[in-house]
Amino acid sequence: MSDQRTILVRYNEIGLKGRNRKYFEKTLVKNIKRSLPKDKGIAYRVPRGRIMIDLPVAVADEYADRLKKIPGISSYSIGISMNPDFDEMAELGIKWIKPLLQPGEEFKFCVRTRRSVKTFPQTSPEINCEVGSRIMSQLGPKGLVVGIKESQFTLEIEIGMSDTVVFRNREAGLCGLPVGSSGNVLCLLSGGIDSPVAAYMMACRGCRVHFVYFDNQPFLGRGGYDKVLKLSKIVNGYQGRAKLFVVPFQDIQVAIRDNCREENRIVLYRRMMYRIANEIARQYEMLGLVTGESLGQVASQTLENLAAVTCVTSMNIFRPLIAMNKEVIIKHAKKIETYDVSIEPQPDCCSIFMPDSPVTRGKIYILKNDEEKYPGEVLKKEALRDMETISVDFL
Amino acid sequence: MIYLDNAASTPMDPAIIVLLQDYMRDQFANSGAVYGIGLDAKNKIEEATETITAALGIPSSHNLIFTSGGTESNNLFIKGLCSPDKKTAYSGLEHPSIVETLKSFKAFDNEPFSLLEFSKEGRLNLSCLPLLKEKRIRLLCLSHVNHELGTINDPALLIAKLKKDAPQTRLFLDGMQAIGKIKIDKSMWLGLSGYSLSAHKIHGPKGIGLLVYDSKLTLNPHLHGGKQQFGVRAGTLPVPLIMAFARTIKLVTAQQQETEKHLLKLHTYLVEELRKLGLPFAINSSSGDFQCPSIVNFSLPPVEGEVMLHHLEKQEIYVGMGSACSANSKEPSKILMGIGLTEEQARCSLRISFSRNNNFDEIDKFLQALKISYQALFSTFSKGTLDR
Repeated sequence: MSDQRTILVRYNEIGLKGRNRKYFEKTLVKNIKRSLPKDKGIAYRVPRGRIMIDLPVAVADEYADRLKKIPGISSYSIGISMNPDFDEMAELGIKWIKPLLQPGEEFKFCVRTRRSVKTFPQTSPEINCEVGSRIMSQLGPKGLVVGIKESQFTLEIEIGMSDTVVFRNREAGLCGLPVGSSGNVLCLLSGGIDSPVAAYMMACRGCRVHFVYFDNQPFLGRGGYDKVLKLSKIVNGYQGRAKLFVVPFQDIQVAIRDNCREENRIVLYRRMMYRIANEIARQYEMLGLVTGESLGQVASQTLENLAAVTCVTSMNIFRPLIAMNKEVIIKHAKKIETYDVSIEPQPDCCSIFMPDSPVTRGKIYILKNDEEKYPGEVLKKEALRDMETISVDFL
Repeated sequence: MIYLDNAASTPMDPAIIVLLQDYMRDQFANSGAVYGIGLDAKNKIEEATETITAALGIPSSHNLIFTSGGTESNNLFIKGLCSPDKKTAYSGLEHPSIVETLKSFKAFDNEPFSLLEFSKEGRLNLSCLPLLKEKRIRLLCLSHVNHELGTINDPALLIAKLKKDAPQTRLFLDGMQAIGKIKIDKSMWLGLSGYSLSAHKIHGPKGIGLLVYDSKLTLNPHLHGGKQQFGVRAGTLPVPLIMAFARTIKLVTAQQQETEKHLLKLHTYLVEELRKLGLPFAINSSSGDFQCPSIVNFSLPPVEGEVMLHHLEKQEIYVGMGSACSANSKEPSKILMGIGLTEEQARCSLRISFSRNNNFDEIDKFLQALKISYQALFSTFSKGTLDR
C-alpha cells in the first residue's frame, strides 16, 4: 500500500458563495497551511469545491486531527491512493469497518463512487455494487448491512485521471466560514464560561477574534490574569494570530466605587470597559466588539442595562449568546474545552467593589450624572497607556 | 523578595538541596529489593529513622510511618484508629486535614464532638476535659501549634490533665508548626497516641511527612499493597526524601533554641512596631508561654486581608491570610471567627509567619509597605454605602 495519504477537505458555506468564492477558498487554504507544520512532502491541490492535501502516511492522522479546529471545513476524510482494483478496495474497506462492528449489533454502511474518468469500464453505481458486495460477503454475517441513507460508515471512492483514491469515513469539521474572511473583532474576556464561547462562535463566522481583559490586580491576585491567558490560548487554537490586551482596571473601579451611587457600580464599570474596548478596537481597525452577554442572566444583562452599555460606543456589538440558556452555553464551553478552565475558582471581582443590590434597570441620565463625579476620561487614558499587549500565538 | 508566609511552606535549606540531589542520584534502588543496593537503601531508611528518633527523643514504644505529608499523616492516624464509629473530639481550630477527616465520620452517624466554646483563647481550655469522659470520647485531636494564630496546646499539661479527667481518651497532636520552633519536651511521647510532621514546613522537601504513633495501637491501613511500614502504609519508600527529611529534622532540632530566640525577637519587634504605627490594628495572636513566636496574626480593619496581601505581593512581600475577600467566596476564617472575632476582624486579617531566615530589616520593609498600602486603601474601604 502507498506510503502517501490524501486528505479530502470539504466545505459547505463557501460553496454557496458567488463571485467572491475564490476569496473564501484562498483564505481557507491559507488557514490550513498555517495550522499544519511546514514539512516537506505536503502538497495542496484545490480542484473545484474541495481541497486535497497529499502527505506522508506517518503524519496523516496527526495532521488531519488539526483540521477539526479550523472553521470553514464541513468535513474531511483520509484517503489512500491505489490501483482501481475492486478486491483491493474492498480489502481496505473491510480493514476499516471490521473494528467498528459490535457483536449482535447492526452496523450500516455504504459505498459512494465519484468517477471523473468516463472511460472507466464500470459506472459509479456498478462500482458501488462491486466493492460493496465484496465487503458484505465478508462482514455481512457479523452484522454489517447496507444503509444508503443512514450509513454509519461511508467508503468513498474517487476515480480520477491520474489515480484512484479510497477514502475512510468522514470526520465532521466546525463548518462556518474561514477565519479572516470576515475581519477583526475584539472580545471582552472575563474568565467566566460565556465570553470564550462567544469568541469561538465569532471565529466560526470568519472573524479573527482578539481579546481584552480588565485586570483587578492588586485588589485580586494574579489568578484571574493567568486564567485569561489560558482561555485566550484555547480559543486562539481555533484561529491563530490573536492579540490579548490586558487593561489595568483597578483605579477606575476605585474611582467609581468611591464617587458614584452604589447600585449603579456594575453598569458604570461596564460602560468604562466598553469605552476602553471601543478605543482599542478603533486603534487596531477592528470592526466590532464581542461579549458573552446572555439576556437576563445577571443583573447587568437586562435589556435596560444592555442598552445603557451599548450606547457608549458607536461600534457594532455582537452578542452571539444573547438568546441562549446557560445549559447550552456550558455544552458549547465543554465542546471547545474552555469549561474546565472557566470554572477554576478564581475570583473575578473583589467583594469591596460589589454593590449589595445592583440596579437592574439603569437609567442613562442617572448613569451620566454619576460619571460626572469621577475623572473617567483621564483614568481611561491612563489605563490605555498602561495596557499590556500580548501575542497569544507566543503564549 | 521578602517571604513572610513560612507557616504555609518554607524555602528549602540549600544544604538539604545539595544532599537531596546526591541521594536522588545514588539511592535509587527499591528498599524492598533483596540485592545489595536494595539492602543499602533499606539501611539508609533505618539510619534516617534512628536520626529522627534521636533528634526528637521518640521512645521505642512508638512507630514511625513515612507519608506524603501532613494531610496524609493526619488522615492515616485518625481514620486508621477511629473510622467509622469511635467517638472523637476536636477544638474546632484545627487544620482542615483534621477537621474534614473527623467530619467524614458523619456519614457513619458519628459526629465529632466540638470543643469550640472552650477554645476562645486560641487553645483548648483544659477545664473541659471531664466532658470527654462523660461523652466517652476515644480520641482528642488538637494542633500542637495553631497554624493561623500560633497558639500552643501544651502537651505536658494536656497529658497530665487527661490522665486525671479522661483517662480513656487518647491524644493526637498535629505538630506541623511546632517542630524546630518551640522546645519539644521528650517526655511528651509516652502520653501521645499520635503526632504528625511535615518536611516542607521546616526547610525540607515537599512530598514527605511523618506519623509517629504508639505501637500498641492497631491502625487500619488506607493504602493496600506491599507490606512496607508495618503493613500500615503500603508503597515503595521514597528513600532520598526520607534521608533528606531526617537531615532536616536533625538540623532544625539542633538549632531549635537559637531559632526560637531569633523568632521571639522578630515576633516582639513586629508586634511592638505594629502598635507604634498608630493605626487601628488589632493583634489576634497572643504572646507569652502559649504563643509560638513564628506566627503573628493581626487585623487591619477596614482593609480586607486579601487585598492587602496582593498589594504587598506587588512589592514582592509575601504574607498569609486566613480568609478570602473574593466575591466568589465570602466566608471568613473559621478559626478567627471561632475565637470570637467579628466577621470584619476575620476578613481583615493577615498572618505573618517567620522562619530563621527572616531579619529585622525585612520586617521594617514590610511595615513600611504595609503602612503605605493601608493609607492608600483606607479611604476606599472606609466608605460604606453611599447615599446620594
